[in-house]
Amino acid sequence: MSERLIVIGGGGAGTAASTIAKRTNPDMQVAVYSEFPDIAYSPCGIPYAHGREIPEFENLFLSTVQRYVEDGLEMNMETTVTDIDLDRRTVTARNKHEGFDKLILCTGFHWEQPAVPGANLQGLHYVKDIRRAMEFDKELDSMKRAVIIGGMWLGVEMSGALARRGLEVQFIDEGPWLLSELVDPDVAEPAQESLEKLGVNVRMGTKLLGFVGGSDGRVQAVSTSEGELECDVAVICLHKLPNTSLASSIGLELGTTGAVVVDDHMRTSAPGVWAAGDVVEVPHGLSMLPISGLTGSHAYAQGRLAGANAAGENRTYDPVWIPWGFMAGDYTIGGFSIGETLAEAMGIPYVVAKGVGVSRARYFPGAARTHVKLLAEPGTLRLIGAQLHGGEGIKERCDFLAFVGKRGATLEDLAWMENIYSPPIGALYEPIQIAAQNGLAEQKASRREAVPA
Amino acid sequence: MSSFAEQKRRLRARSEHVLRMAAMEDVARRYPRRTVPSALPDEGPFWRRVFVPLYRRAPWELKRNAMRTLKLTAQGWPEQSRQFGEPWRPPSPPRDT
Repeated sequence: MSERLIVIGGGGAGTAASTIAKRTNPDMQVAVYSEFPDIAYSPCGIPYAHGREIPEFENLFLSTVQRYVEDGLEMNMETTVTDIDLDRRTVTARNKHEGFDKLILCTGFHWEQPAVPGANLQGLHYVKDIRRAMEFDKELDSMKRAVIIGGMWLGVEMSGALARRGLEVQFIDEGPWLLSELVDPDVAEPAQESLEKLGVNVRMGTKLLGFVGGSDGRVQAVSTSEGELECDVAVICLHKLPNTSLASSIGLELGTTGAVVVDDHMRTSAPGVWAAGDVVEVPHGLSMLPISGLTGSHAYAQGRLAGANAAGENRTYDPVWIPWGFMAGDYTIGGFSIGETLAEAMGIPYVVAKGVGVSRARYFPGAARTHVKLLAEPGTLRLIGAQLHGGEGIKERCDFLAFVGKRGATLEDLAWMENIYSPPIGALYEPIQIAAQNGLAEQKASRREAVPA
Repeated sequence: MSSFAEQKRRLRARSEHVLRMAAMEDVARRYPRRTVPSALPDEGPFWRRVFVPLYRRAPWELKRNAMRTLKLTAQGWPEQSRQFGEPWRPPSPPRDT
Protein backbone atom coordinates (compact mmCIF):
# COMPACT_ATOMS: atom_id res chain seq x y z
CA MET A 1 0.00 0.00 0.00
CA SER A 2 1.29 3.49 -0.85
CA GLU A 3 2.42 5.88 1.87
CA ARG A 4 0.10 8.64 3.00
CA LEU A 5 1.41 12.14 3.63
CA ILE A 6 -0.64 14.78 5.39
CA VAL A 7 0.30 18.43 4.98
CA ILE A 8 -1.27 20.82 7.48
CA GLY A 9 -1.46 24.34 6.06
CA GLY A 10 -2.29 25.72 2.64
CA GLY A 11 0.01 28.74 2.46
CA GLY A 12 3.22 29.03 0.48
CA ALA A 13 5.04 26.27 2.40
CA GLY A 14 2.06 23.89 2.49
CA THR A 15 1.21 24.15 -1.20
CA ALA A 16 4.87 23.76 -2.19
CA ALA A 17 5.36 20.79 0.14
CA SER A 18 2.30 18.92 -1.09
CA THR A 19 2.91 19.61 -4.78
CA ILE A 20 6.57 18.63 -4.70
CA ALA A 21 5.90 15.52 -2.61
CA LYS A 22 3.36 14.32 -5.16
CA ARG A 23 5.64 15.20 -8.06
CA THR A 24 8.59 13.43 -6.42
CA ASN A 25 6.64 10.30 -5.58
CA PRO A 26 3.45 10.02 -7.68
CA ASP A 27 2.44 6.88 -5.78
CA MET A 28 2.30 8.74 -2.51
CA GLN A 29 -1.15 9.75 -1.25
CA VAL A 30 -0.95 13.42 -0.36
CA ALA A 31 -3.69 15.17 1.62
CA VAL A 32 -3.73 18.91 2.40
CA TYR A 33 -5.68 20.41 5.31
CA SER A 34 -6.30 24.14 5.35
CA GLU A 35 -8.62 26.22 7.51
CA PHE A 36 -9.08 28.67 4.62
CA PRO A 37 -11.18 28.26 1.45
CA ASP A 38 -8.47 29.35 -1.01
CA ILE A 39 -5.10 28.11 -2.04
CA ALA A 40 -2.20 29.40 -4.11
CA TYR A 41 -2.82 33.10 -3.81
CA SER A 42 -0.34 35.84 -3.07
CA PRO A 43 -0.91 37.46 0.33
CA CYS A 44 2.12 39.66 -0.32
CA GLY A 45 0.15 41.35 -3.11
CA ILE A 46 -2.70 42.41 -0.81
CA PRO A 47 -1.38 45.93 0.00
CA TYR A 48 -0.95 46.65 -3.71
CA ALA A 49 -4.51 45.55 -4.47
CA HIS A 50 -5.74 47.94 -1.75
CA GLY A 51 -3.67 50.68 -3.38
CA ARG A 52 -5.16 49.78 -6.79
CA GLU A 53 -1.73 49.21 -8.30
CA ILE A 54 -3.14 45.72 -8.87
CA PRO A 55 -6.57 46.41 -10.36
CA GLU A 56 -8.45 43.33 -9.08
CA PHE A 57 -8.04 41.10 -6.04
CA GLU A 58 -8.81 38.16 -8.35
CA ASN A 59 -5.42 38.77 -9.98
CA LEU A 60 -3.79 37.52 -6.78
CA PHE A 61 -5.22 34.02 -7.23
CA LEU A 62 -2.63 31.94 -9.05
CA SER A 63 -4.49 28.62 -9.15
CA THR A 64 -7.61 26.88 -7.91
CA VAL A 65 -8.34 24.11 -5.45
CA GLN A 66 -9.76 22.12 -8.37
CA ARG A 67 -6.42 22.29 -10.16
CA TYR A 68 -4.70 20.69 -7.19
CA VAL A 69 -7.35 17.96 -7.08
CA GLU A 70 -6.71 17.29 -10.78
CA ASP A 71 -3.02 16.94 -9.93
CA GLY A 72 -3.93 14.11 -7.59
CA LEU A 73 -3.95 15.87 -4.24
CA GLU A 74 -6.68 15.37 -1.64
CA MET A 75 -7.72 18.90 -0.70
CA ASN A 76 -9.52 19.44 2.61
CA MET A 77 -10.35 23.13 2.57
CA GLU A 78 -11.96 25.04 5.46
CA THR A 79 -10.99 22.07 7.58
CA THR A 80 -9.10 22.77 10.77
CA VAL A 81 -6.93 20.05 12.22
CA THR A 82 -7.68 20.08 15.93
CA ASP A 83 -5.50 17.23 17.15
CA ILE A 84 -2.57 15.06 16.15
CA ASP A 85 -1.86 11.63 17.65
CA LEU A 86 1.74 10.72 16.87
CA ASP A 87 1.47 7.22 18.39
CA ARG A 88 -1.55 6.26 16.31
CA ARG A 89 -0.35 8.37 13.36
CA THR A 90 -3.69 10.17 12.98
CA VAL A 91 -4.92 13.73 12.72
CA THR A 92 -8.37 14.83 13.84
CA ALA A 93 -10.40 17.26 11.77
CA ARG A 94 -14.16 17.79 11.93
CA ASN A 95 -14.25 15.01 14.55
CA LYS A 96 -12.89 12.51 12.03
CA HIS A 97 -9.57 10.70 12.40
CA GLU A 98 -7.37 10.46 9.34
CA GLY A 99 -4.27 8.28 9.25
CA PHE A 100 -0.84 9.27 7.99
CA ASP A 101 2.59 7.79 7.58
CA LYS A 102 4.34 11.12 7.27
CA LEU A 103 3.36 14.59 8.32
CA ILE A 104 4.45 18.09 7.30
CA LEU A 105 3.44 21.02 9.51
CA CYS A 106 3.10 24.33 7.66
CA THR A 107 0.84 26.10 10.12
CA GLY A 108 2.30 29.52 9.42
CA PHE A 109 2.05 32.50 11.72
CA HIS A 110 -0.33 34.87 13.43
CA TRP A 111 0.21 38.56 13.99
CA GLU A 112 1.38 39.88 17.33
CA GLN A 113 -1.51 41.69 18.97
CA PRO A 114 -0.88 44.89 20.92
CA ALA A 115 -1.25 44.44 24.68
CA VAL A 116 -3.13 47.70 25.24
CA PRO A 117 -6.72 48.60 26.20
CA GLY A 118 -9.22 48.36 23.38
CA ALA A 119 -7.33 45.74 21.38
CA ASN A 120 -10.55 43.76 20.96
CA LEU A 121 -12.51 46.59 19.32
CA GLN A 122 -13.98 46.27 15.85
CA GLY A 123 -12.16 48.18 13.18
CA LEU A 124 -8.73 46.79 14.01
CA HIS A 125 -7.48 45.16 10.86
CA TYR A 126 -4.77 42.50 10.38
CA VAL A 127 -3.55 41.75 6.85
CA LYS A 128 -3.52 38.02 6.24
CA ASP A 129 -6.52 36.17 4.80
CA ILE A 130 -7.44 37.25 1.28
CA ARG A 131 -11.22 36.88 1.81
CA ARG A 132 -11.05 39.23 4.76
CA ALA A 133 -8.87 41.57 2.72
CA MET A 134 -11.49 41.64 -0.05
CA GLU A 135 -14.20 42.59 2.45
CA PHE A 136 -11.90 45.20 3.97
CA ASP A 137 -11.24 46.61 0.52
CA LYS A 138 -14.96 47.34 0.09
CA GLU A 139 -15.08 48.98 3.52
CA LEU A 140 -12.17 51.21 2.53
CA ASP A 141 -14.42 53.01 0.02
CA SER A 142 -16.28 54.61 2.90
CA MET A 143 -13.25 55.32 5.09
CA LYS A 144 -11.25 58.52 5.30
CA ARG A 145 -8.63 58.09 8.04
CA ALA A 146 -6.35 55.18 8.84
CA VAL A 147 -3.73 54.69 11.51
CA ILE A 148 -1.03 52.12 10.75
CA ILE A 149 0.67 50.65 13.80
CA GLY A 150 4.05 49.00 13.71
CA GLY A 151 7.29 49.61 11.97
CA MET A 152 7.83 46.42 10.00
CA TRP A 153 7.75 46.13 6.20
CA LEU A 154 4.01 45.44 5.98
CA GLY A 155 3.16 48.65 7.81
CA VAL A 156 5.22 50.62 5.32
CA GLU A 157 3.56 48.88 2.36
CA MET A 158 0.08 49.37 3.81
CA SER A 159 0.78 53.04 4.53
CA GLY A 160 1.78 53.66 0.93
CA ALA A 161 -1.18 51.65 -0.38
CA LEU A 162 -3.83 53.41 1.71
CA ALA A 163 -2.33 56.83 0.92
CA ARG A 164 -2.58 56.00 -2.79
CA ARG A 165 -6.17 55.01 -2.15
CA GLY A 166 -6.81 58.54 -0.93
CA LEU A 167 -7.00 57.95 2.81
CA GLU A 168 -5.42 60.24 5.36
CA VAL A 169 -2.77 57.96 6.81
CA GLN A 170 -0.92 58.23 10.14
CA PHE A 171 1.93 55.79 10.67
CA ILE A 172 3.09 55.27 14.24
CA ASP A 173 5.99 53.28 15.61
CA GLU A 174 8.02 53.28 18.82
CA GLY A 175 11.36 53.05 17.04
CA PRO A 176 13.77 55.98 16.61
CA TRP A 177 13.60 55.82 12.81
CA LEU A 178 11.49 54.12 10.16
CA LEU A 179 11.97 50.35 10.06
CA SER A 180 14.56 50.60 12.82
CA GLU A 181 14.52 46.84 13.46
CA LEU A 182 15.48 46.19 9.86
CA VAL A 183 17.39 49.08 8.30
CA ASP A 184 19.89 51.76 9.22
CA PRO A 185 18.85 55.44 9.43
CA ASP A 186 20.59 56.40 6.17
CA VAL A 187 18.43 53.86 4.30
CA ALA A 188 15.29 54.72 6.26
CA GLU A 189 15.52 58.43 5.47
CA PRO A 190 14.69 58.34 1.73
CA ALA A 191 12.05 55.68 2.40
CA GLN A 192 10.35 57.96 4.93
CA GLU A 193 10.57 60.91 2.54
CA SER A 194 8.90 58.85 -0.17
CA LEU A 195 6.04 57.90 2.17
CA GLU A 196 5.66 61.53 3.19
CA LYS A 197 5.47 62.58 -0.46
CA LEU A 198 2.45 60.31 -0.76
CA GLY A 199 0.91 62.15 2.19
CA VAL A 200 1.65 59.68 4.99
CA ASN A 201 2.22 61.33 8.36
CA VAL A 202 5.10 59.31 9.81
CA ARG A 203 5.31 59.55 13.61
CA MET A 204 8.39 57.75 14.88
CA GLY A 205 9.19 57.43 18.58
CA THR A 206 5.46 57.27 19.23
CA LYS A 207 4.08 54.80 21.73
CA LEU A 208 0.73 53.08 21.30
CA LEU A 209 -1.30 53.47 24.49
CA GLY A 210 -4.66 52.04 23.47
CA PHE A 211 -7.66 52.12 21.18
CA VAL A 212 -10.67 54.32 21.86
CA GLY A 213 -14.03 52.90 20.85
CA GLY A 214 -17.44 54.41 20.22
CA SER A 215 -20.77 53.20 21.57
CA ASP A 216 -20.96 50.83 18.58
CA GLY A 217 -17.84 49.01 19.80
CA ARG A 218 -15.82 50.23 16.84
CA VAL A 219 -12.47 51.97 17.02
CA GLN A 220 -12.71 55.75 16.71
CA ALA A 221 -9.24 56.83 17.69
CA VAL A 222 -5.81 55.52 18.55
CA SER A 223 -4.39 56.77 21.82
CA THR A 224 -0.64 57.44 21.60
CA SER A 225 2.12 59.17 23.53
CA GLU A 226 1.68 62.03 21.05
CA GLY A 227 -2.06 62.35 21.65
CA GLU A 228 -5.20 60.81 20.18
CA LEU A 229 -5.37 60.12 16.46
CA GLU A 230 -8.91 59.87 15.10
CA CYS A 231 -9.45 57.07 12.62
CA ASP A 232 -11.94 54.87 10.83
CA VAL A 233 -9.60 51.90 10.93
CA ALA A 234 -6.37 50.88 12.65
CA VAL A 235 -4.17 48.47 10.74
CA ILE A 236 -1.91 46.43 13.02
CA CYS A 237 1.40 45.40 11.49
CA LEU A 238 3.52 44.17 14.39
CA HIS A 239 5.68 41.03 14.39
CA LYS A 240 4.86 37.65 12.88
CA LEU A 241 4.60 34.97 15.59
CA PRO A 242 4.88 31.29 14.71
CA ASN A 243 1.61 29.39 14.99
CA THR A 244 2.88 26.49 17.09
CA SER A 245 -0.25 25.36 18.91
CA LEU A 246 -0.41 22.00 17.08
CA ALA A 247 3.38 21.57 17.23
CA SER A 248 3.34 22.20 20.99
CA SER A 249 0.46 19.81 21.50
CA ILE A 250 2.55 16.91 20.16
CA GLY A 251 5.66 17.94 22.04
CA LEU A 252 7.81 19.10 19.13
CA GLU A 253 10.92 20.93 20.26
CA LEU A 254 10.54 24.70 20.08
CA GLY A 255 13.54 26.98 19.84
CA THR A 256 14.68 30.32 21.16
CA THR A 257 12.43 32.24 18.77
CA GLY A 258 9.42 30.21 19.92
CA ALA A 259 9.23 28.46 16.53
CA VAL A 260 9.63 24.77 15.72
CA VAL A 261 13.21 23.50 15.64
CA VAL A 262 14.13 21.75 12.39
CA ASP A 263 17.40 20.40 11.05
CA ASP A 264 18.83 21.07 7.61
CA HIS A 265 16.41 18.49 6.12
CA MET A 266 13.45 20.36 7.69
CA ARG A 267 12.94 17.42 10.04
CA THR A 268 11.41 18.18 13.43
CA SER A 269 12.27 16.46 16.71
CA ALA A 270 9.60 13.78 16.02
CA PRO A 271 10.36 10.96 13.56
CA GLY A 272 8.42 11.22 10.30
CA VAL A 273 7.36 14.82 10.95
CA TRP A 274 8.72 17.73 8.92
CA ALA A 275 7.89 21.43 9.19
CA ALA A 276 8.41 24.45 6.95
CA GLY A 277 7.59 28.11 6.55
CA ASP A 278 6.75 30.66 9.20
CA VAL A 279 6.25 28.01 11.88
CA VAL A 280 9.95 27.02 11.89
CA GLU A 281 13.21 28.67 12.82
CA VAL A 282 16.35 28.31 10.69
CA PRO A 283 19.87 29.58 11.35
CA HIS A 284 21.27 32.84 10.04
CA GLY A 285 24.33 32.02 7.95
CA LEU A 286 26.56 34.57 9.67
CA SER A 287 25.80 33.94 13.34
CA MET A 288 24.08 30.53 13.21
CA LEU A 289 21.47 32.02 15.55
CA PRO A 290 18.01 30.69 14.70
CA ILE A 291 15.54 33.17 13.22
CA SER A 292 11.91 32.88 12.16
CA GLY A 293 9.22 34.86 10.36
CA LEU A 294 11.13 35.22 7.09
CA THR A 295 9.77 35.92 3.62
CA GLY A 296 7.29 34.12 1.38
CA SER A 297 10.12 32.91 -0.82
CA HIS A 298 11.81 31.30 2.18
CA ALA A 299 8.54 29.57 3.12
CA TYR A 300 8.10 28.35 -0.43
CA ALA A 301 11.67 27.00 -0.69
CA GLN A 302 11.45 25.30 2.71
CA GLY A 303 8.10 23.74 1.75
CA ARG A 304 9.57 22.39 -1.50
CA LEU A 305 12.46 20.87 0.38
CA ALA A 306 10.31 19.34 3.12
CA GLY A 307 7.96 17.87 0.48
CA ALA A 308 10.83 16.38 -1.52
CA ASN A 309 12.42 14.85 1.58
CA ALA A 310 9.12 13.47 2.89
CA ALA A 311 8.70 11.82 -0.52
CA GLY A 312 12.07 10.10 -0.26
CA GLU A 313 14.69 12.56 -1.47
CA ASN A 314 17.67 13.75 0.52
CA ARG A 315 17.95 17.50 0.13
CA THR A 316 19.48 19.99 2.51
CA TYR A 317 18.57 23.58 3.23
CA ASP A 318 21.37 26.06 3.79
CA PRO A 319 21.49 28.57 6.64
CA VAL A 320 19.89 31.78 5.38
CA TRP A 321 21.45 35.09 4.34
CA ILE A 322 18.02 36.69 3.77
CA PRO A 323 17.94 38.91 0.73
CA TRP A 324 15.04 41.30 1.27
CA GLY A 325 13.53 44.29 -0.42
CA PHE A 326 10.29 46.19 -0.82
CA MET A 327 8.72 49.44 -1.86
CA ALA A 328 8.44 52.29 0.60
CA GLY A 329 6.11 54.65 -1.23
CA ASP A 330 7.70 54.96 -4.66
CA TYR A 331 11.17 54.10 -3.45
CA THR A 332 12.89 50.72 -3.25
CA ILE A 333 14.98 49.60 -0.31
CA GLY A 334 16.64 46.25 0.19
CA GLY A 335 19.57 44.39 1.56
CA PHE A 336 20.79 41.07 2.88
CA SER A 337 21.99 39.67 6.19
CA ILE A 338 22.73 42.55 8.59
CA GLY A 339 23.15 46.32 8.58
CA GLU A 340 25.18 48.55 10.86
CA THR A 341 22.56 48.61 13.63
CA LEU A 342 22.26 44.84 13.91
CA ALA A 343 26.03 44.37 13.63
CA GLU A 344 26.47 46.87 16.50
CA ALA A 345 23.79 45.14 18.55
CA MET A 346 25.31 41.70 18.09
CA GLY A 347 28.83 42.99 18.59
CA ILE A 348 30.01 41.72 15.21
CA PRO A 349 33.08 43.65 14.01
CA TYR A 350 32.65 45.21 10.57
CA VAL A 351 33.91 47.80 8.12
CA VAL A 352 31.61 49.80 5.86
CA ALA A 353 32.00 50.44 2.12
CA LYS A 354 29.61 52.95 0.57
CA GLY A 355 29.04 54.14 -2.96
CA VAL A 356 26.46 55.77 -5.20
CA GLY A 357 26.06 54.83 -8.86
CA VAL A 358 23.36 54.84 -11.50
CA SER A 359 20.99 52.11 -12.61
CA ARG A 360 21.46 52.77 -16.35
CA ALA A 361 23.88 54.81 -18.43
CA ARG A 362 23.89 58.30 -16.96
CA TYR A 363 22.52 59.82 -20.19
CA PHE A 364 19.75 57.28 -20.68
CA PRO A 365 16.23 58.42 -19.71
CA GLY A 366 15.05 56.88 -16.46
CA ALA A 367 18.51 56.43 -14.94
CA ALA A 368 18.17 56.44 -11.15
CA ARG A 369 20.72 56.79 -8.40
CA THR A 370 21.57 53.52 -6.67
CA HIS A 371 22.99 53.75 -3.15
CA VAL A 372 25.01 50.76 -1.95
CA LYS A 373 26.33 50.13 1.54
CA LEU A 374 28.38 46.97 2.06
CA LEU A 375 29.45 45.54 5.42
CA ALA A 376 32.57 43.39 5.50
CA GLU A 377 34.56 41.48 8.07
CA PRO A 378 37.68 43.45 9.10
CA GLY A 379 40.87 41.89 7.83
CA THR A 380 39.46 39.35 5.39
CA LEU A 381 37.01 41.94 3.96
CA ARG A 382 34.55 39.11 3.48
CA LEU A 383 31.04 40.41 2.75
CA ILE A 384 28.70 40.00 5.73
CA GLY A 385 25.79 42.30 4.87
CA ALA A 386 24.47 45.08 2.68
CA GLN A 387 21.74 47.70 2.49
CA LEU A 388 20.72 49.41 -0.75
CA HIS A 389 18.22 52.00 -1.84
CA GLY A 390 17.20 53.64 -5.06
CA GLY A 391 15.00 52.97 -8.05
CA GLU A 392 15.26 50.00 -10.37
CA GLY A 393 17.57 47.03 -9.90
CA ILE A 394 17.69 47.00 -6.09
CA LYS A 395 16.09 43.56 -5.84
CA GLU A 396 18.49 41.93 -8.30
CA ARG A 397 21.52 43.44 -6.60
CA CYS A 398 20.33 42.23 -3.17
CA ASP A 399 19.77 38.69 -4.52
CA PHE A 400 23.24 38.77 -6.06
CA LEU A 401 24.92 40.09 -2.93
CA ALA A 402 23.20 37.53 -0.70
CA PHE A 403 24.37 34.75 -2.99
CA VAL A 404 27.99 35.87 -3.25
CA GLY A 405 28.06 36.75 0.46
CA LYS A 406 26.94 33.21 1.25
CA ARG A 407 29.75 31.89 -0.95
CA GLY A 408 32.39 34.00 0.79
CA ALA A 409 32.96 36.90 -1.63
CA THR A 410 35.15 39.77 -0.44
CA LEU A 411 35.24 43.51 -1.16
CA GLU A 412 38.23 42.73 -3.40
CA ASP A 413 36.07 40.32 -5.47
CA LEU A 414 33.29 42.89 -5.81
CA ALA A 415 35.62 45.79 -6.60
CA TRP A 416 36.88 43.94 -9.67
CA MET A 417 33.72 42.06 -10.64
CA GLU A 418 32.54 41.90 -14.24
CA ASN A 419 29.28 43.63 -15.01
CA ILE A 420 26.88 44.31 -17.87
CA TYR A 421 27.21 47.66 -19.56
CA SER A 422 24.24 48.37 -21.82
CA PRO A 423 22.88 51.93 -21.67
CA PRO A 424 19.16 51.09 -21.17
CA ILE A 425 19.79 48.47 -18.45
CA GLY A 426 23.18 49.04 -16.85
CA ALA A 427 25.89 51.64 -16.35
CA LEU A 428 29.55 51.27 -17.22
CA TYR A 429 30.52 51.41 -13.57
CA GLU A 430 28.34 49.13 -11.47
CA PRO A 431 27.22 50.74 -8.15
CA ILE A 432 28.33 47.66 -6.20
CA GLN A 433 31.83 48.03 -7.68
CA ILE A 434 31.88 51.70 -6.72
CA ALA A 435 31.03 50.90 -3.10
CA ALA A 436 33.60 48.11 -2.93
CA GLN A 437 36.32 50.26 -4.54
CA ASN A 438 35.57 53.05 -2.05
CA GLY A 439 35.77 50.55 0.77
CA LEU A 440 39.14 49.25 -0.40
CA ALA A 441 40.46 52.81 -0.74
CA GLU A 442 39.36 53.60 2.82
CA GLN A 443 41.00 50.46 4.13
CA LYS A 444 44.20 51.36 2.35
CA ALA A 445 44.10 54.89 3.75
CA SER A 446 43.46 53.67 7.28
CA ARG A 447 46.38 51.22 7.04
CA ARG A 448 48.59 54.08 5.85
CA GLU A 449 47.48 56.22 8.80
CA ALA A 450 48.22 53.36 11.17
CA VAL A 451 51.85 53.10 10.01
CA PRO A 452 54.03 55.69 11.79
CA ALA A 453 56.03 57.94 9.44
CA MET B 1 7.60 24.35 25.74
CA SER B 2 9.74 23.22 28.68
CA SER B 3 10.55 25.77 31.34
CA PHE B 4 14.27 25.67 30.41
CA ALA B 5 13.44 26.28 26.75
CA GLU B 6 11.08 29.09 27.77
CA GLN B 7 13.82 30.66 29.91
CA LYS B 8 16.24 30.51 26.98
CA ARG B 9 13.62 32.11 24.74
CA ARG B 10 13.06 34.92 27.24
CA LEU B 11 16.79 35.43 27.79
CA ARG B 12 17.31 35.78 24.06
CA ALA B 13 14.33 38.11 23.54
CA ARG B 14 15.33 40.38 26.40
CA SER B 15 19.04 40.51 25.59
CA GLU B 16 18.34 41.16 21.90
CA HIS B 17 15.97 43.95 22.81
CA VAL B 18 18.39 45.81 25.08
CA LEU B 19 21.35 45.30 22.75
CA ARG B 20 19.32 46.60 19.81
CA MET B 21 18.16 49.64 21.81
CA ALA B 22 21.74 50.46 22.79
CA ALA B 23 22.91 49.99 19.19
CA MET B 24 20.10 52.23 17.93
CA GLU B 25 21.28 55.01 20.23
CA ASP B 26 24.85 54.72 18.96
CA VAL B 27 23.87 54.49 15.29
CA ALA B 28 21.42 57.39 15.65
CA ARG B 29 24.30 59.59 16.83
CA ARG B 30 26.09 58.83 13.56
CA TYR B 31 22.96 59.63 11.48
CA PRO B 32 21.21 62.39 13.45
CA ARG B 33 19.16 63.89 10.59
CA ARG B 34 16.12 61.64 10.68
CA THR B 35 16.15 60.02 14.09
CA VAL B 36 14.08 60.76 17.18
CA PRO B 37 14.28 59.45 20.75
CA SER B 38 13.02 55.88 20.92
CA ALA B 39 9.77 55.03 22.72
CA LEU B 40 10.68 51.33 22.93
CA PRO B 41 10.21 49.87 26.43
CA ASP B 42 13.24 49.82 28.72
CA GLU B 43 14.13 46.50 30.38
CA GLY B 44 15.55 48.01 33.53
CA PRO B 45 18.91 49.18 34.91
CA PHE B 46 20.59 45.76 35.18
CA TRP B 47 20.23 45.07 31.49
CA ARG B 48 21.22 48.55 30.40
CA ARG B 49 24.02 49.30 32.86
CA VAL B 50 25.48 45.86 33.46
CA PHE B 51 24.57 43.45 30.67
CA VAL B 52 25.11 45.76 27.68
CA PRO B 53 28.58 47.02 28.72
CA LEU B 54 29.72 43.50 29.64
CA TYR B 55 28.45 42.05 26.37
CA ARG B 56 30.12 44.80 24.39
CA ARG B 57 33.44 44.32 26.15
CA ALA B 58 33.66 40.65 25.17
CA PRO B 59 35.21 39.86 21.78
CA TRP B 60 32.88 38.41 19.12
CA GLU B 61 34.61 35.00 19.16
CA LEU B 62 33.97 34.70 22.89
CA LYS B 63 30.33 35.69 22.44
CA ARG B 64 29.92 33.19 19.61
CA ASN B 65 31.44 30.40 21.69
CA ALA B 66 29.20 31.30 24.64
CA MET B 67 26.14 31.16 22.38
CA ARG B 68 27.24 27.74 21.11
CA THR B 69 27.82 26.48 24.66
CA LEU B 70 24.40 27.67 25.78
CA LYS B 71 22.94 25.99 22.66
CA LEU B 72 21.50 29.29 21.53
CA THR B 73 22.83 28.59 18.03
CA ALA B 74 21.04 26.18 15.70
CA GLN B 75 21.59 22.49 16.35
CA GLY B 76 21.65 19.89 13.57
CA TRP B 77 22.96 22.28 10.95
CA PRO B 78 26.42 22.30 9.38
CA GLU B 79 28.34 25.23 10.83
CA GLN B 80 30.04 26.33 7.62
CA SER B 81 28.20 26.66 4.34
CA ARG B 82 30.17 26.04 1.15
CA GLN B 83 33.02 28.46 0.66
CA PHE B 84 33.50 30.60 -2.41
CA GLY B 85 34.80 28.49 -5.27
CA GLU B 86 34.38 25.22 -3.38
CA PRO B 87 32.71 22.60 -5.59
CA TRP B 88 29.30 21.18 -4.81
CA ARG B 89 29.28 17.98 -2.83
CA PRO B 90 26.44 15.51 -2.32
CA PRO B 91 24.68 15.97 1.03
CA SER B 92 25.49 13.68 3.91
CA PRO B 93 23.46 10.45 4.16
CA PRO B 94 20.01 10.87 5.73
CA ARG B 95 19.39 9.99 9.33
CA ASP B 96 16.57 7.61 10.13
CA THR B 97 13.25 9.41 9.94
